[in-house]
Amino acid sequence: MSADLKKLYSSVIKAHNETPYHFEKPTTTLTIIKAYNPICGDRFDLYITSPITDYRLPLTLHFHGFGCAISKASTSVLIKSIEGKSLNDAMEIVDHFLRFINKELRDKELILPDEFLAFSGVHDFPERLECATLAWKEMKKYLESKNE
Amino acid sequence: MTPVTNSIKSLFPIFSNHPALVYLDNAATSQKPKSVIQSVIDYYEKENANVHRGLYKLSSSATTRYEEVRNKVAKLIGASDPNSISFTKGTTESINVVAHGFLKKLLMAGDSVVISGMEHHANLIPWQQVCKEKKALLRIIPVDGDGNLDLSTLDSLLTTNTRLLAITHISNVLGTINPIEEIISCAHKKNIPVLIDAAQSAGHYPIDIKNLDADFLVFSAHKMFGPLGAGVLFSLEKYRNQIEPLNYGGGAIKNVEFDHTEFLEYPHNLEAGTPNISGVIGLGEAIDFIQSLDMKSSILYTNELMIYFKEKLNSLPFVKPFGNPVKSGSIVSFQVKNVHPHDVAGFLGNVNIAVRAGHHCAQPLLESLGVPSTVRVSFAIYNTKEDVDRTISALIDLKKFWS
Repeated sequence: MSADLKKLYSSVIKAHNETPYHFEKPTTTLTIIKAYNPICGDRFDLYITSPITDYRLPLTLHFHGFGCAISKASTSVLIKSIEGKSLNDAMEIVDHFLRFINKELRDKELILPDEFLAFSGVHDFPERLECATLAWKEMKKYLESKNE
Repeated sequence: MTPVTNSIKSLFPIFSNHPALVYLDNAATSQKPKSVIQSVIDYYEKENANVHRGLYKLSSSATTRYEEVRNKVAKLIGASDPNSISFTKGTTESINVVAHGFLKKLLMAGDSVVISGMEHHANLIPWQQVCKEKKALLRIIPVDGDGNLDLSTLDSLLTTNTRLLAITHISNVLGTINPIEEIISCAHKKNIPVLIDAAQSAGHYPIDIKNLDADFLVFSAHKMFGPLGAGVLFSLEKYRNQIEPLNYGGGAIKNVEFDHTEFLEYPHNLEAGTPNISGVIGLGEAIDFIQSLDMKSSILYTNELMIYFKEKLNSLPFVKPFGNPVKSGSIVSFQVKNVHPHDVAGFLGNVNIAVRAGHHCAQPLLESLGVPSTVRVSFAIYNTKEDVDRTISALIDLKKFWS
Protein backbone atom coordinates (compact mmCIF):
# COMPACT_ATOMS: atom_id res chain seq x y z
CA MET A 1 0.00 0.00 0.00
CA SER A 2 1.51 3.31 -1.03
CA ALA A 3 1.97 6.01 1.58
CA ASP A 4 0.35 8.51 -0.81
CA LEU A 5 -2.84 6.53 -0.84
CA LYS A 6 -2.89 6.22 2.93
CA LYS A 7 -2.50 9.98 3.12
CA LEU A 8 -5.26 10.52 0.57
CA TYR A 9 -7.68 8.39 2.53
CA SER A 10 -6.69 9.68 5.96
CA SER A 11 -8.60 8.50 9.01
CA VAL A 12 -10.49 11.82 9.07
CA ILE A 13 -11.69 11.32 5.50
CA LYS A 14 -12.61 7.69 6.12
CA ALA A 15 -14.55 8.68 9.24
CA HIS A 16 -16.46 11.47 7.46
CA ASN A 17 -17.18 9.10 4.56
CA GLU A 18 -18.56 6.43 6.86
CA THR A 19 -20.55 8.71 9.14
CA PRO A 20 -21.01 11.97 7.30
CA TYR A 21 -22.17 15.01 9.23
CA HIS A 22 -25.89 15.80 8.92
CA PHE A 23 -26.24 13.42 6.00
CA GLU A 24 -29.99 13.42 5.52
CA LYS A 25 -32.74 14.94 3.45
CA PRO A 26 -34.67 17.32 5.69
CA THR A 27 -38.46 17.18 5.39
CA THR A 28 -38.74 20.85 4.50
CA THR A 29 -36.09 22.84 2.72
CA LEU A 30 -35.82 26.44 1.77
CA THR A 31 -32.85 26.25 -0.57
CA ILE A 32 -31.11 23.37 -2.29
CA ILE A 33 -27.60 24.03 -3.53
CA LYS A 34 -26.69 21.50 -6.17
CA ALA A 35 -23.09 20.30 -6.16
CA TYR A 36 -23.03 18.08 -9.23
CA ASN A 37 -20.07 16.94 -11.27
CA PRO A 38 -21.40 15.75 -14.63
CA ILE A 39 -18.06 14.27 -15.60
CA CYS A 40 -17.79 11.74 -12.79
CA GLY A 41 -21.44 11.66 -11.70
CA ASP A 42 -21.00 12.94 -8.14
CA ARG A 43 -24.23 14.57 -7.00
CA PHE A 44 -24.75 16.22 -3.64
CA ASP A 45 -27.64 18.43 -2.59
CA LEU A 46 -26.84 20.89 0.20
CA TYR A 47 -29.96 21.85 2.15
CA ILE A 48 -30.68 25.12 3.89
CA THR A 49 -33.78 24.60 6.00
CA SER A 50 -34.41 27.98 7.59
CA PRO A 51 -33.93 31.55 6.41
CA ILE A 52 -30.61 33.32 6.70
CA THR A 53 -31.23 35.96 9.38
CA ASP A 54 -28.87 38.76 10.42
CA TYR A 55 -26.49 37.51 7.74
CA ARG A 56 -26.06 34.24 9.67
CA LEU A 57 -26.39 30.77 8.21
CA PRO A 58 -28.92 28.51 9.99
CA LEU A 59 -27.66 26.50 12.94
CA THR A 60 -28.13 23.26 11.10
CA LEU A 61 -27.34 22.52 7.49
CA HIS A 62 -27.78 19.14 5.83
CA PHE A 63 -26.62 17.36 2.74
CA HIS A 64 -27.45 14.22 0.84
CA GLY A 65 -26.41 12.48 -2.37
CA PHE A 66 -23.67 10.28 -3.66
CA GLY A 67 -20.04 10.59 -4.58
CA CYS A 68 -16.63 9.16 -3.83
CA ALA A 69 -15.16 9.11 -0.34
CA ILE A 70 -13.21 12.31 -0.97
CA SER A 71 -16.17 14.31 -2.23
CA LYS A 72 -18.50 12.96 0.45
CA ALA A 73 -16.04 13.68 3.26
CA SER A 74 -15.24 17.13 1.93
CA THR A 75 -18.95 18.01 1.71
CA SER A 76 -19.41 16.71 5.25
CA VAL A 77 -16.55 18.87 6.54
CA LEU A 78 -17.98 21.87 4.68
CA ILE A 79 -21.40 21.51 6.29
CA LYS A 80 -19.89 21.00 9.73
CA SER A 81 -17.52 23.96 9.35
CA ILE A 82 -19.98 26.64 8.30
CA GLU A 83 -23.32 25.98 9.96
CA GLY A 84 -24.44 28.75 12.28
CA LYS A 85 -21.64 31.03 11.06
CA SER A 86 -22.12 34.57 9.84
CA LEU A 87 -22.04 34.92 6.06
CA ASN A 88 -18.71 36.70 6.25
CA ASP A 89 -17.16 34.03 8.46
CA ALA A 90 -18.56 31.27 6.30
CA MET A 91 -17.14 32.92 3.19
CA GLU A 92 -13.79 33.22 4.84
CA ILE A 93 -13.80 29.55 5.85
CA VAL A 94 -14.79 28.43 2.37
CA ASP A 95 -12.22 30.69 0.77
CA HIS A 96 -9.55 29.43 3.16
CA PHE A 97 -10.29 25.79 2.34
CA LEU A 98 -10.34 26.35 -1.42
CA ARG A 99 -7.08 28.32 -1.33
CA PHE A 100 -5.54 25.55 0.80
CA ILE A 101 -6.53 22.86 -1.71
CA ASN A 102 -5.30 25.03 -4.58
CA LYS A 103 -2.00 25.61 -2.73
CA GLU A 104 -2.57 29.36 -2.63
CA LEU A 105 -2.15 29.93 1.13
CA ARG A 106 0.69 32.01 2.47
CA ASP A 107 2.84 30.34 5.18
CA LYS A 108 1.28 32.27 8.05
CA GLU A 109 -2.18 31.18 6.90
CA LEU A 110 -1.25 27.53 7.13
CA ILE A 111 -2.64 27.05 10.62
CA LEU A 112 -5.62 24.97 9.67
CA PRO A 113 -8.07 22.72 11.46
CA ASP A 114 -7.21 19.00 11.28
CA GLU A 115 -10.30 18.39 9.22
CA PHE A 116 -8.88 20.66 6.50
CA LEU A 117 -5.37 19.24 6.71
CA ALA A 118 -6.81 15.78 6.18
CA PHE A 119 -7.32 16.75 2.53
CA SER A 120 -3.66 17.55 1.87
CA GLY A 121 -3.36 14.11 0.24
CA VAL A 122 -5.17 15.35 -2.84
CA HIS A 123 -2.12 17.49 -3.64
CA ASP A 124 -0.51 14.25 -4.84
CA PHE A 125 -3.59 13.27 -6.85
CA PRO A 126 -4.52 16.22 -9.07
CA GLU A 127 -7.33 14.16 -10.63
CA ARG A 128 -9.04 14.21 -7.20
CA LEU A 129 -8.94 18.01 -6.68
CA GLU A 130 -12.43 18.31 -8.12
CA CYS A 131 -13.70 15.73 -5.61
CA ALA A 132 -12.31 17.72 -2.68
CA THR A 133 -13.68 21.07 -3.86
CA LEU A 134 -17.00 20.28 -5.57
CA ALA A 135 -19.38 21.27 -2.75
CA TRP A 136 -17.13 24.09 -1.54
CA LYS A 137 -17.14 25.81 -4.91
CA GLU A 138 -20.93 25.66 -5.15
CA MET A 139 -21.26 26.94 -1.57
CA LYS A 140 -18.91 29.79 -2.41
CA LYS A 141 -21.13 30.84 -5.33
CA TYR A 142 -24.20 30.69 -3.11
CA LEU A 143 -22.65 32.70 -0.27
CA GLU A 144 -21.42 35.32 -2.70
CA SER A 145 -24.90 35.67 -4.13
CA LYS A 146 -26.35 36.14 -0.63
CA ASN A 147 -23.76 38.67 0.39
CA GLU A 148 -24.28 41.07 -2.50
CA MET B 1 -2.53 -14.80 -39.55
CA THR B 2 -1.00 -14.31 -36.13
CA PRO B 3 -2.51 -16.38 -33.34
CA VAL B 4 -3.27 -14.48 -30.16
CA THR B 5 -0.31 -14.79 -27.80
CA ASN B 6 1.31 -12.73 -25.11
CA SER B 7 3.78 -11.47 -27.70
CA ILE B 8 1.02 -9.27 -29.12
CA LYS B 9 1.65 -6.98 -26.18
CA SER B 10 5.12 -6.26 -27.56
CA LEU B 11 3.54 -4.69 -30.67
CA PHE B 12 2.06 -1.90 -28.50
CA PRO B 13 4.72 0.66 -27.46
CA ILE B 14 2.64 1.92 -24.50
CA PHE B 15 3.53 -1.29 -22.66
CA SER B 16 7.28 -0.92 -23.17
CA ASN B 17 7.00 2.64 -21.88
CA HIS B 18 4.85 1.50 -18.94
CA PRO B 19 5.89 -2.10 -18.26
CA ALA B 20 3.75 -2.36 -15.12
CA LEU B 21 0.59 -1.04 -16.80
CA VAL B 22 -2.50 -3.22 -16.72
CA TYR B 23 -4.74 -1.52 -19.24
CA LEU B 24 -8.38 -2.50 -18.79
CA ASP B 25 -10.07 0.59 -20.22
CA ASN B 26 -10.33 -0.63 -23.79
CA ALA B 27 -13.99 0.28 -24.16
CA ALA B 28 -12.94 3.93 -23.73
CA THR B 29 -10.08 3.74 -26.19
CA SER B 30 -7.77 0.95 -27.29
CA GLN B 31 -4.00 1.22 -27.28
CA LYS B 32 -2.33 1.65 -30.66
CA PRO B 33 0.15 -0.75 -32.24
CA LYS B 34 3.52 0.55 -33.40
CA SER B 35 2.48 0.12 -37.04
CA VAL B 36 -0.45 2.52 -36.64
CA ILE B 37 1.61 5.12 -34.78
CA GLN B 38 4.40 4.79 -37.36
CA SER B 39 1.94 5.27 -40.24
CA VAL B 40 0.84 8.59 -38.77
CA ILE B 41 4.45 9.69 -38.23
CA ASP B 42 5.42 8.55 -41.72
CA TYR B 43 2.57 10.51 -43.22
CA TYR B 44 3.75 13.74 -41.59
CA GLU B 45 7.45 13.05 -42.17
CA LYS B 46 7.32 11.72 -45.70
CA GLU B 47 3.94 12.28 -47.30
CA ASN B 48 2.28 15.39 -45.85
CA ALA B 49 0.16 17.28 -48.37
CA ASN B 50 -3.48 18.18 -48.63
CA VAL B 51 -5.72 15.78 -50.47
CA HIS B 52 -7.69 16.31 -53.70
CA ARG B 53 -6.89 18.72 -56.50
CA GLY B 54 -3.16 19.00 -55.78
CA LEU B 55 -1.28 18.74 -59.06
CA TYR B 56 1.91 17.42 -57.56
CA LYS B 57 3.05 13.99 -56.51
CA LEU B 58 2.78 14.37 -52.72
CA SER B 59 -0.79 15.54 -52.97
CA SER B 60 -1.87 12.91 -55.41
CA SER B 61 -0.24 10.21 -53.30
CA ALA B 62 -1.92 11.57 -50.13
CA THR B 63 -5.22 11.48 -52.03
CA THR B 64 -4.62 7.92 -53.16
CA ARG B 65 -3.68 6.79 -49.62
CA TYR B 66 -6.74 8.55 -48.16
CA GLU B 67 -9.13 7.12 -50.74
CA GLU B 68 -7.62 3.64 -50.42
CA VAL B 69 -8.80 3.55 -46.83
CA ARG B 70 -12.40 3.78 -48.04
CA ASN B 71 -11.73 0.46 -49.77
CA LYS B 72 -10.21 -1.04 -46.64
CA VAL B 73 -13.10 0.10 -44.45
CA ALA B 74 -15.64 -1.17 -46.98
CA LYS B 75 -13.92 -4.57 -47.03
CA LEU B 76 -13.75 -4.69 -43.22
CA ILE B 77 -17.52 -4.40 -42.94
CA GLY B 78 -18.36 -6.34 -46.09
CA ALA B 79 -19.62 -3.38 -48.12
CA SER B 80 -19.20 -3.71 -51.86
CA ASP B 81 -18.95 0.00 -52.62
CA PRO B 82 -16.11 2.08 -51.09
CA ASN B 83 -18.21 5.16 -51.75
CA SER B 84 -20.66 3.99 -49.11
CA ILE B 85 -18.04 5.08 -46.56
CA SER B 86 -17.91 8.67 -45.36
CA PHE B 87 -15.11 9.73 -43.01
CA THR B 88 -16.06 11.67 -39.91
CA LYS B 89 -14.43 12.67 -36.63
CA GLY B 90 -15.88 9.63 -34.92
CA THR B 91 -19.03 7.78 -33.91
CA THR B 92 -20.61 10.85 -32.33
CA GLU B 93 -20.23 12.95 -35.45
CA SER B 94 -21.47 10.12 -37.66
CA ILE B 95 -24.66 9.84 -35.60
CA ASN B 96 -25.15 13.60 -35.64
CA VAL B 97 -24.86 13.61 -39.44
CA VAL B 98 -27.69 11.08 -39.68
CA ALA B 99 -29.78 12.82 -37.01
CA HIS B 100 -29.49 16.33 -38.43
CA GLY B 101 -28.65 15.71 -42.07
CA PHE B 102 -31.08 12.89 -42.76
CA LEU B 103 -33.70 12.33 -40.07
CA LYS B 104 -34.61 15.90 -39.19
CA LYS B 105 -36.26 16.75 -42.47
CA LEU B 106 -38.31 13.51 -42.44
CA LEU B 107 -39.51 13.87 -38.89
CA MET B 108 -42.95 15.36 -38.30
CA ALA B 109 -44.74 16.16 -35.07
CA GLY B 110 -46.06 12.94 -33.54
CA ASP B 111 -43.52 10.72 -35.35
CA SER B 112 -41.15 8.61 -33.33
CA VAL B 113 -37.54 7.45 -33.17
CA VAL B 114 -36.80 4.20 -31.34
CA ILE B 115 -33.60 3.56 -29.41
CA SER B 116 -32.78 1.20 -26.56
CA GLY B 117 -32.34 1.75 -22.85
CA MET B 118 -28.66 0.84 -23.04
CA GLU B 119 -27.46 3.50 -25.48
CA HIS B 120 -24.32 5.56 -25.01
CA HIS B 121 -25.21 9.26 -24.76
CA ALA B 122 -23.85 9.63 -28.31
CA ASN B 123 -26.65 7.41 -29.60
CA LEU B 124 -29.27 9.10 -27.45
CA ILE B 125 -28.81 12.86 -27.24
CA PRO B 126 -28.72 13.58 -31.01
CA TRP B 127 -32.08 11.76 -31.46
CA GLN B 128 -33.52 13.30 -28.30
CA GLN B 129 -32.67 16.81 -29.46
CA VAL B 130 -33.99 16.32 -32.99
CA CYS B 131 -37.21 14.80 -31.57
CA LYS B 132 -37.60 17.74 -29.22
CA GLU B 133 -37.18 20.22 -32.05
CA LYS B 134 -39.69 18.44 -34.28
CA LYS B 135 -42.12 17.52 -31.47
CA ALA B 136 -41.54 13.84 -32.15
CA LEU B 137 -41.31 11.05 -29.59
CA LEU B 138 -38.23 9.17 -28.51
CA ARG B 139 -39.29 5.66 -27.60
CA ILE B 140 -37.15 3.23 -25.67
CA ILE B 141 -36.72 -0.55 -25.91
CA PRO B 142 -36.44 -1.54 -22.24
CA VAL B 143 -33.51 -3.44 -20.74
CA ASP B 144 -34.13 -6.30 -18.29
CA GLY B 145 -32.26 -6.93 -15.03
CA ASP B 146 -29.68 -9.15 -16.74
CA GLY B 147 -28.84 -6.43 -19.25
CA ASN B 148 -30.70 -7.94 -22.22
CA LEU B 149 -33.09 -5.97 -24.41
CA ASP B 150 -36.74 -6.79 -23.82
CA LEU B 151 -37.56 -7.46 -27.45
CA SER B 152 -41.15 -8.45 -26.69
CA THR B 153 -41.86 -4.70 -26.79
CA LEU B 154 -40.22 -4.12 -30.18
CA ASP B 155 -43.23 -4.84 -32.37
CA SER B 156 -45.44 -2.38 -30.52
CA LEU B 157 -42.71 0.29 -30.35
CA LEU B 158 -42.18 0.23 -34.11
CA THR B 159 -45.22 1.90 -35.65
CA THR B 160 -46.12 3.40 -39.00
CA ASN B 161 -44.91 6.73 -37.55
CA THR B 162 -41.45 5.43 -36.61
CA ARG B 163 -38.88 7.13 -38.82
CA LEU B 164 -35.71 5.46 -37.54
CA LEU B 165 -34.42 2.82 -35.14
CA ALA B 166 -30.94 3.42 -33.68
CA ILE B 167 -29.30 0.76 -31.58
CA THR B 168 -25.94 -0.26 -30.25
CA HIS B 169 -24.34 -3.51 -31.35
CA ILE B 170 -22.51 -3.96 -28.02
CA SER B 171 -23.30 -2.14 -24.78
CA ASN B 172 -20.35 -0.10 -23.55
CA VAL B 173 -21.41 -0.69 -19.93
CA LEU B 174 -22.62 -4.29 -19.65
CA GLY B 175 -21.02 -5.81 -22.74
CA THR B 176 -24.38 -7.09 -24.01
CA ILE B 177 -24.17 -8.19 -27.65
CA ASN B 178 -27.55 -7.30 -29.07
CA PRO B 179 -29.28 -9.52 -31.67
CA ILE B 180 -29.09 -6.76 -34.26
CA GLU B 181 -29.92 -9.06 -37.20
CA GLU B 182 -33.27 -9.87 -35.62
CA ILE B 183 -33.91 -6.22 -34.69
CA ILE B 184 -33.04 -4.96 -38.18
CA SER B 185 -35.28 -7.51 -39.86
CA CYS B 186 -38.14 -6.59 -37.54
CA ALA B 187 -37.71 -2.87 -38.39
CA HIS B 188 -37.37 -3.55 -42.11
CA LYS B 189 -40.67 -5.42 -42.15
CA LYS B 190 -42.16 -2.03 -41.35
CA ASN B 191 -39.84 -0.14 -43.73
CA ILE B 192 -38.03 1.58 -40.86
CA PRO B 193 -34.35 2.36 -41.47
CA VAL B 194 -31.86 1.22 -38.82
CA LEU B 195 -28.64 2.79 -37.59
CA ILE B 196 -26.17 0.49 -35.83
CA ASP B 197 -23.73 1.99 -33.34
CA ALA B 198 -20.74 -0.28 -33.85
CA ALA B 199 -18.34 1.74 -31.69
CA GLN B 200 -17.62 -1.25 -29.44
CA SER B 201 -17.75 -3.94 -32.10
CA ALA B 202 -16.13 -2.68 -35.31
CA GLY B 203 -12.75 -4.27 -35.85
CA HIS B 204 -13.26 -6.67 -32.95
CA TYR B 205 -16.33 -8.63 -34.10
CA PRO B 206 -17.23 -9.69 -37.62
CA ILE B 207 -19.62 -7.32 -39.35
CA ASP B 208 -21.03 -8.21 -42.72
CA ILE B 209 -23.16 -5.33 -43.82
CA LYS B 210 -24.72 -7.34 -46.66
CA ASN B 211 -26.11 -10.01 -44.33
CA LEU B 212 -26.85 -7.51 -41.61
CA ASP B 213 -28.71 -5.21 -43.98
CA ALA B 214 -28.19 -2.13 -41.72
CA ASP B 215 -29.06 1.19 -43.36
CA PHE B 216 -26.43 3.13 -41.43
CA LEU B 217 -23.46 1.87 -39.44
CA VAL B 218 -21.13 4.09 -37.44
CA PHE B 219 -17.87 3.63 -35.57
CA SER B 220 -14.61 5.27 -34.46
CA ALA B 221 -11.04 4.40 -35.37
CA HIS B 222 -9.67 4.90 -31.87
CA LYS B 223 -11.55 2.00 -30.29
CA MET B 224 -10.15 -0.42 -32.87
CA PHE B 225 -6.41 0.29 -32.53
CA GLY B 226 -6.57 3.35 -34.78
CA PRO B 227 -5.87 7.04 -34.12
CA LEU B 228 -8.16 9.49 -32.37
CA GLY B 229 -10.32 11.84 -34.41
CA ALA B 230 -11.24 9.58 -37.31
CA GLY B 231 -14.52 7.73 -37.72
CA VAL B 232 -16.85 6.18 -40.21
CA LEU B 233 -20.40 6.57 -41.44
CA PHE B 234 -21.61 3.79 -43.70
CA SER B 235 -24.85 4.56 -45.55
CA LEU B 236 -26.91 2.32 -47.75
CA GLU B 237 -27.03 3.56 -51.33
CA LYS B 238 -30.73 4.43 -51.34
CA TYR B 239 -30.26 7.05 -48.62
CA ARG B 240 -27.08 8.66 -49.87
CA ASN B 241 -28.60 11.51 -51.82
CA GLN B 242 -30.89 12.24 -48.89
CA ILE B 243 -28.13 13.04 -46.38
CA GLU B 244 -27.22 16.67 -46.07
CA PRO B 245 -23.89 17.77 -44.61
CA LEU B 246 -23.42 19.18 -41.11
CA ASN B 247 -20.52 21.27 -42.36
CA TYR B 248 -20.37 23.33 -45.51
CA GLY B 249 -17.13 24.49 -47.09
CA GLY B 250 -14.35 23.66 -49.49
CA GLY B 251 -13.66 20.19 -50.79
CA ALA B 252 -17.31 19.18 -50.95
CA ILE B 253 -18.37 21.08 -54.04
CA LYS B 254 -18.64 20.80 -57.81
CA ASN B 255 -19.30 24.43 -58.56
CA VAL B 256 -19.83 27.56 -56.46
CA GLU B 257 -21.49 30.81 -57.45
CA PHE B 258 -22.51 33.65 -55.14
CA ASP B 259 -26.11 32.54 -55.03
CA HIS B 260 -25.78 28.82 -55.58
CA THR B 261 -23.56 25.80 -54.85
CA GLU B 262 -23.55 22.48 -56.58
CA PHE B 263 -22.30 19.82 -54.21
CA LEU B 264 -20.30 16.67 -54.81
CA GLU B 265 -22.07 13.42 -54.23
CA TYR B 266 -21.97 11.30 -51.08
CA PRO B 267 -19.55 10.66 -49.40
CA HIS B 268 -17.54 13.72 -50.50
CA ASN B 269 -20.39 16.18 -49.88
CA LEU B 270 -20.14 15.34 -46.17
CA GLU B 271 -16.39 15.90 -45.95
CA ALA B 272 -16.05 19.68 -46.28
CA GLY B 273 -12.79 21.21 -45.09
CA THR B 274 -9.42 19.49 -44.91
CA PRO B 275 -10.10 16.03 -43.52
CA ASN B 276 -8.11 14.22 -40.84
CA ILE B 277 -5.83 12.65 -43.44
CA SER B 278 -3.29 11.16 -41.04
CA GLY B 279 -6.11 9.81 -38.87
CA VAL B 280 -7.72 8.10 -41.85
CA ILE B 281 -4.37 6.68 -42.96
CA GLY B 282 -3.87 5.41 -39.42
CA LEU B 283 -7.32 3.85 -39.56
CA GLY B 284 -6.26 2.03 -42.71
CA GLU B 285 -3.17 0.76 -40.91
CA ALA B 286 -5.34 -0.36 -37.95
CA ILE B 287 -7.46 -2.37 -40.38
CA ASP B 288 -4.30 -3.99 -41.77
CA PHE B 289 -3.31 -4.83 -38.19
CA ILE B 290 -6.75 -6.32 -37.46
CA GLN B 291 -6.58 -8.37 -40.64
CA SER B 292 -3.17 -9.72 -39.66
CA LEU B 293 -4.89 -11.32 -36.67
CA ASP B 294 -7.40 -14.12 -36.68
CA MET B 295 -10.56 -12.36 -35.49
CA LYS B 296 -12.17 -15.60 -34.31
CA SER B 297 -9.18 -16.45 -32.10
CA SER B 298 -9.10 -12.88 -30.78
CA ILE B 299 -12.75 -13.09 -29.76
CA LEU B 300 -12.22 -16.49 -28.12
CA TYR B 301 -9.21 -15.13 -26.30
CA THR B 302 -10.82 -11.96 -24.92
CA ASN B 303 -13.97 -13.95 -24.07
CA GLU B 304 -11.88 -16.40 -22.12
CA LEU B 305 -10.29 -13.52 -20.19
CA MET B 306 -13.72 -12.01 -19.52
CA ILE B 307 -15.09 -15.33 -18.21
CA TYR B 308 -11.96 -15.94 -16.10
CA PHE B 309 -12.35 -12.43 -14.63
CA LYS B 310 -16.08 -12.87 -13.98
CA GLU B 311 -15.51 -16.20 -12.23
CA LYS B 312 -12.85 -14.70 -9.99
CA LEU B 313 -15.00 -11.62 -9.39
CA ASN B 314 -17.99 -13.74 -8.43
CA SER B 315 -15.87 -15.51 -5.80
CA LEU B 316 -15.32 -12.19 -4.01
CA PRO B 317 -18.23 -11.75 -1.59
CA PHE B 318 -17.74 -7.98 -1.41
CA VAL B 319 -18.24 -7.46 -5.14
CA LYS B 320 -21.55 -6.86 -6.86
CA PRO B 321 -21.46 -7.48 -10.63
CA PHE B 322 -24.00 -5.86 -12.93
CA GLY B 323 -25.72 -7.59 -15.80
CA ASN B 324 -25.52 -11.15 -16.99
CA PRO B 325 -26.39 -10.86 -20.65
CA VAL B 326 -27.12 -13.90 -22.82
CA LYS B 327 -24.34 -12.90 -25.22
CA SER B 328 -21.56 -10.75 -23.92
CA GLY B 329 -18.51 -8.95 -25.25
CA SER B 330 -15.44 -8.49 -23.09
CA ILE B 331 -16.83 -5.69 -20.91
CA VAL B 332 -17.72 -6.17 -17.22
CA SER B 333 -19.33 -3.69 -14.81
CA PHE B 334 -19.31 -4.12 -11.04
CA GLN B 335 -19.25 -2.37 -7.69
CA VAL B 336 -17.31 -3.06 -4.52
CA LYS B 337 -19.78 -2.97 -1.65
CA ASN B 338 -19.47 0.15 0.50
CA VAL B 339 -16.67 1.62 -1.62
CA HIS B 340 -17.55 4.21 -4.23
CA PRO B 341 -16.51 3.26 -7.80
CA HIS B 342 -14.25 6.33 -8.06
CA ASP B 343 -12.40 5.24 -4.94
CA VAL B 344 -12.05 1.76 -6.45
CA ALA B 345 -10.70 3.15 -9.73
CA GLY B 346 -8.38 5.53 -7.86
CA PHE B 347 -7.05 2.68 -5.74
CA LEU B 348 -6.47 0.45 -8.77
CA GLY B 349 -4.90 3.38 -10.62
CA ASN B 350 -2.44 3.74 -7.80
CA VAL B 351 -1.17 0.21 -8.53
CA ASN B 352 -1.05 0.79 -12.30
CA ILE B 353 -4.35 -0.83 -13.16
CA ALA B 354 -6.37 1.36 -15.52
CA VAL B 355 -10.13 0.87 -15.25
CA ARG B 356 -12.99 3.32 -15.65
CA ALA B 357 -15.50 4.40 -13.05
CA GLY B 358 -18.56 6.53 -13.57
CA HIS B 359 -21.72 6.44 -15.62
CA HIS B 360 -19.81 5.56 -18.81
CA CYS B 361 -21.88 8.09 -20.80
CA ALA B 362 -24.96 5.94 -20.26
CA GLN B 363 -26.75 7.66 -17.38
CA PRO B 364 -30.26 6.36 -18.19
CA LEU B 365 -28.99 2.76 -18.21
CA LEU B 366 -27.30 3.21 -14.85
CA GLU B 367 -30.45 4.81 -13.53
CA SER B 368 -32.36 1.66 -14.53
CA LEU B 369 -29.73 -0.46 -12.75
CA GLY B 370 -30.37 1.70 -9.70
CA VAL B 371 -26.81 3.00 -9.36
CA PRO B 372 -25.10 6.30 -10.20
CA SER B 373 -21.87 4.65 -11.29
CA THR B 374 -20.00 1.39 -11.72
CA VAL B 375 -16.44 0.21 -12.15
CA ARG B 376 -15.90 -1.04 -15.67
CA VAL B 377 -13.23 -3.44 -16.89
CA SER B 378 -12.88 -4.01 -20.64
CA PHE B 379 -10.44 -6.38 -22.30
CA ALA B 380 -8.49 -6.35 -25.54
CA ILE B 381 -6.15 -8.82 -27.21
CA TYR B 382 -3.04 -7.60 -25.37
CA ASN B 383 -4.52 -8.33 -21.93
CA THR B 384 -3.43 -11.45 -20.09
CA LYS B 385 -4.56 -13.75 -17.28
CA GLU B 386 -1.88 -12.09 -15.20
CA ASP B 387 -3.71 -8.76 -15.69
CA VAL B 388 -6.83 -10.41 -14.27
CA ASP B 389 -4.94 -11.94 -11.34
CA ARG B 390 -3.34 -8.60 -10.49
CA THR B 391 -6.71 -6.85 -10.61
CA ILE B 392 -8.38 -9.44 -8.39
CA SER B 393 -5.55 -9.32 -5.89
CA ALA B 394 -5.69 -5.48 -5.87
CA LEU B 395 -9.44 -5.69 -5.19
CA ILE B 396 -8.72 -7.92 -2.19
CA ASP B 397 -6.12 -5.39 -0.94
CA LEU B 398 -8.64 -2.60 -1.47
CA LYS B 399 -11.22 -4.37 0.64
CA LYS B 400 -8.67 -4.73 3.45
CA PHE B 401 -7.76 -1.05 3.14
CA TRP B 402 -11.38 0.01 3.48
CA SER B 403 -12.45 -2.31 6.27
